[in-house]
Amino acid sequence: MKVLLLAFLWCCAAAVEAGAQAPPPPSSMPPPAVPPPAVSPPPVSPRGGLLPAPPLAGQAPPAEPSASSDPLGPPNLIMDLSAPRVSITSAFQGESLLVFGMFDPPGEIVVVVEGPPMRETVMRKQRVLGLWLTTGRQLFDDVPSYYFIAASQPLQRLLAGRAGGEILSLEDRMSIIRPVRLGPPARLAEFRGGLVEVKRREGLYPADIGQVPIQGGRLFRADLPFPSRLPEGMYSVRAYLIRDGRIAATVSHPLPVAKVGFSADLAAWSHQEGAFYGMGAIAMALLVGWVGGTIMRRL
Amino acid sequence: MEIYLPIAEQSMNVFVLLALGGAAGLLAGMFGVGGGFLATPLLIFAGIPPAVAVASQANQVIANSVSSLQVQWRRGNVDLRMGLILLLGGMVGSSAGVSLFTWLKRVGQIDFVIAVLYVVMLSAIGLLMLAESSRTYFKRRRNPEAPRGKLHTHYMVHRLPLKMRFYKSKLYISALLPLGLGFVIGILSAILGVGGGFVLVPAMIYLLGMPTGVVIGTSNFQILFVAANVTFLQAMTNRTVDVVLALLLILGGVVGAPIGARLAAKLPGVVLRGLMGLLVLAVAGQLLTDLVRTPASPYSLGTREVLP
Repeated sequence: MKVLLLAFLWCCAAAVEAGAQAPPPPSSMPPPAVPPPAVSPPPVSPRGGLLPAPPLAGQAPPAEPSASSDPLGPPNLIMDLSAPRVSITSAFQGESLLVFGMFDPPGEIVVVVEGPPMRETVMRKQRVLGLWLTTGRQLFDDVPSYYFIAASQPLQRLLAGRAGGEILSLEDRMSIIRPVRLGPPARLAEFRGGLVEVKRREGLYPADIGQVPIQGGRLFRADLPFPSRLPEGMYSVRAYLIRDGRIAATVSHPLPVAKVGFSADLAAWSHQEGAFYGMGAIAMALLVGWVGGTIMRRL
Repeated sequence: MEIYLPIAEQSMNVFVLLALGGAAGLLAGMFGVGGGFLATPLLIFAGIPPAVAVASQANQVIANSVSSLQVQWRRGNVDLRMGLILLLGGMVGSSAGVSLFTWLKRVGQIDFVIAVLYVVMLSAIGLLMLAESSRTYFKRRRNPEAPRGKLHTHYMVHRLPLKMRFYKSKLYISALLPLGLGFVIGILSAILGVGGGFVLVPAMIYLLGMPTGVVIGTSNFQILFVAANVTFLQAMTNRTVDVVLALLLILGGVVGAPIGARLAAKLPGVVLRGLMGLLVLAVAGQLLTDLVRTPASPYSLGTREVLP
C-alpha cells in the first residue's frame, strides 16, 4: 500500500517538475492513434446528430505524434493569476484579473477561462396583438456560465492545425451545448444565438477574442474582465502553448468565484433556512419602520 | 457608491436605491398608499430581476405601513373589525398569489403578467382618480356650497348575505365584500409586490363606502400583515427576498414619508388626488410603451440552475 502511495506521489512530483502537462482531467488529450475526429473536451456527448462538429476538428491527419514525443520533453509553460480567487463582497462591482506567465519560445499563447456549466433557459419574445410576450423557450445544458478566450495571434491561424479539437472559440464552444429538448436545427440555432447575445450583454462572454500581449518572446499576460453579475462556482483558467498549429504544452489553474463575508452569510442563510430568513426580514422591516418612523416624527 | 445585493446577485448604486425608497416614502406620506406601484417597476427598469424586485418590495412595504400605522392607531383611525375581515381575505389571497407567482415564473410569463397587470390596474385607477378629482374640483368652483349628498349610495352588492355591522365605519354590509376585496388585494400584493393601497384605498371609499377618516389606517393595518405574509412565503418558496435591497429602500422611505405628509397637509385633497391620478397614469403609460415598443433584444434568460 505504502509503496503504491509513494509511487503515485513520485509520479505527481515528476509531472509538476515537468511543469507542462497539467493534471489529467482538464487536459486529457485525445490519443493520437484514434482516427475519427478528435473532438473537444471530455464530458461532451452531443445528443442527436444535429449538432455540427467543430469545423476545425480532425482536419490534419493524425499521423504526427503529439508533443510528448519531443526528445527534449514538453516545453516549459508556467502561469499564475493576480489573485487566487474572486471574492464577491458587499463592495463587489466586477473585477479584472491578470493572468500572466512564461514559456519557452517559440510559440503563441491561447488563454481560455471557463465558468462552471449551467442549465440555462432562453426565452424569446414575439409581438402578439401588438404586445411583446414570451412565446418560446429552450433549455440548454452544459452552458458555460462564463467564457473568455484570448490569444496572441488571430485564432483561425493558431487553430488551423490539430489544436482546433481541444481549444474552442466561443462559437465552437456554443455549438456543443446540449439542448434539453431537441427541436428543428434552425430553431435551436436561433435560441443558441439569443443565448450568446444575452450572455454577451451581461458581460459573461466578454469578447470574441481577447488580447494576449507577449513580452520579450517569452512573457505573456491577459486581462480577464469579470462583470458584477458573476455566477459563483469553480472556474478554470487554462493556457496553451501553440507551436506549428499544435498544442505543445498546457497549464490549468482553478479559480474559485464565491461570495464572502456578509453577502455569503446572507445568501447561504436565505437558501438553507428560508423560513428563518423570512422572519428575520420581517423583523428587520418592523424594527426599522417603527424606530425610523418614531425618530422622523420627532424631528 | 456601489453595493452588492446578495440575492439579486448584482451591484447597484446605494444612492439610487435610497432615492427610490425616498420617492416611494414621499408618496406614502402624501397619499397614504405604499408607493410600491412606483418603486417595483423602477427597480425592474434598473435591472433587478422582477422576482427579486417584487419580493423585496413586499419586505419594504412592511416597514412603510408599520410607521404609518403607528400614527393612525394612536388617532383611533383603524376599524379593527373591518381590518380583520379584510386581512382574512388577504391572507388567503396572498398565499394563493405566491403559488401563482411561482407557477408563472416557471412557465416564463411572470414579467409579462406583471407588466400587463400594472398597466391595467394603474390606468383604471389613474383615470378614475383623475375624473373624480376634476369633477369635484370644477363643481366646487362653480358652486362652493353644494350639498354633500348622501353618505353613500346602495348598489347590488349591498344585497349579499352575511351582513355585519362595522361601527367605526358606520356601515352595515355583507362581510363577503371586504373578504373578497382582501382576497384580490392579497393576490395583487403577491404578484406585484405592492401593498395594494392604491387599489384598496379607492375601493374602500367608493365600493365599500367607508368614511375617508378610517380608510388609511384600516388599509395600513391589512397591508402590514399581508406584506409580512408575502415576504415570508416568497422567502420560503422562491428565495427572492433581498434584505440588503429592502433595507436601503426602507431607509429612504423612512425619510421620505414625513416629508410627503407635510407636503400633503399644505395641498387641498382634490388637487392631491388629481396629482396622484396623473402620476399613476404616467407610470402606466411608461409600462405600456415597454410592452408595445420593439425590445432591444427579443431574448432573455430565465433562472439558471447549477448542473450537478
